[in-house]
Amino acid sequence: MATTTEPTALKREDEEEDDSKPSAEDEDTGAQVAPIVKLQEVAVTTGEENEDVLLDLKSKLYRFDKEGNQWKERGVGTVKLLKHKESGKVRLVMRQNKTLKICANHLVLPTMAVQEHHGNEKSCVWHAADFSDGELKDETFCIRFASIENCKTFKDKIEEITESLSKDSGESEEGTTAANLIEKLSVEGKDKEEKSGTTEAPSSAEEKKDESEEQEKTADEK
Amino acid sequence: MALPNQQTVDYPSFKLVIVGDGGTGKTTFVKRHLTGEFEKKYEPTIGVEVHPLDFFTNCGKIRFYCWDTAGQEKFGGLRDGYYIHGQCAIIMFDVTARLTYKNVPTWHRDLCRVCENIPIVLCGNKVDVKNRQVKAKQVTFHRKKNLQYYEISAKSNYNFEKPFLYLARKLAGDANLHFVESPALAPPEVQIDLAAQQQHEAELAAAASQPLPDDDDEAFD
Repeated sequence: MATTTEPTALKREDEEEDDSKPSAEDEDTGAQVAPIVKLQEVAVTTGEENEDVLLDLKSKLYRFDKEGNQWKERGVGTVKLLKHKESGKVRLVMRQNKTLKICANHLVLPTMAVQEHHGNEKSCVWHAADFSDGELKDETFCIRFASIENCKTFKDKIEEITESLSKDSGESEEGTTAANLIEKLSVEGKDKEEKSGTTEAPSSAEEKKDESEEQEKTADEK
Repeated sequence: MALPNQQTVDYPSFKLVIVGDGGTGKTTFVKRHLTGEFEKKYEPTIGVEVHPLDFFTNCGKIRFYCWDTAGQEKFGGLRDGYYIHGQCAIIMFDVTARLTYKNVPTWHRDLCRVCENIPIVLCGNKVDVKNRQVKAKQVTFHRKKNLQYYEISAKSNYNFEKPFLYLARKLAGDANLHFVESPALAPPEVQIDLAAQQQHEAELAAAASQPLPDDDDEAFD
């Protein structure tokens, strides 16, 4: 039977998230205007050059807005789990489609627990200190995948990573608090950083102190 | 151009003026780019709101100072006073409201009185809505006045990057300029104490019971 449907599968390839709008040619009907700046091509670095991709899935990310008690969209794109080739550290990085801006960038720590999102098998939630815009911010994230399988793949991978991190860091598992574990891990991580001399973001010790003090304060208030 | 209370940056920046009738989605469009969120609730803009918006290109980082102006006449504030030194512009209309397209010539005229020869993009927003009042073929104003036209949807992100990409290319005189991945800096280590950890868990549990805003929306794959 003859059909007139277009090969949407092909079209989808470069138009991920849009809803099948017949995209007109990008014909330039604009007036000729004189440019006002002269820009030189620059070397582009993704910051991911020294990392191996452990996972790479299309998804939609949300952040929890505490004041409004609601989820807010953060971006649609590809979520990646990246393992540093030297330090072994694993982080989660997600970029927005088309603009390629960062919408999530945080370490996967042994304490990271991905939990179910109530009533939705395609999404899950977790908490992280996010570094998307160059400063650490506490965020509660929710990520939604196209399928239940992808969500499970994501959750399983994170679990696998956090388990191996916990194993690496603690000799005596019994009696060691989670806080101690993290402390150890971060000390180890710093040593390695210094040795390998990899380009890390400037992390001021003071900033971290402030951050944890603030966390304590809010915890106390509660 | 930055406002006095905004820090200047050491990379190229441009003043972008965004105009169009009230409710066409100017603020929602800007917000979408700023934080990723899609705001359903309509709150008219009073006067103007200026937001710096950065993009990473193969020619380095650039910034648009987005002057998101009031569409509603009664909240107009300084009106074309906001257009001074505008270096590029977006005129927005709503494809589901014919009147907003009819008013485009007025916005264009007022804009051009203040800003001569700047690159302008006409945006027909809300193309995700099924019942359009202004069909793509009926949009002809941009041809008469030599504007660039894009059909966009702040809701579905359809073409949402195109207006900025077009303007950046024109301002730099480089048709090959494109967006690139911004450097993902290594996140510093964090120290979390037990109390903070418990706090996070409690917040997480509360958040997990809230539904997503667009759960039943279009799938993506």
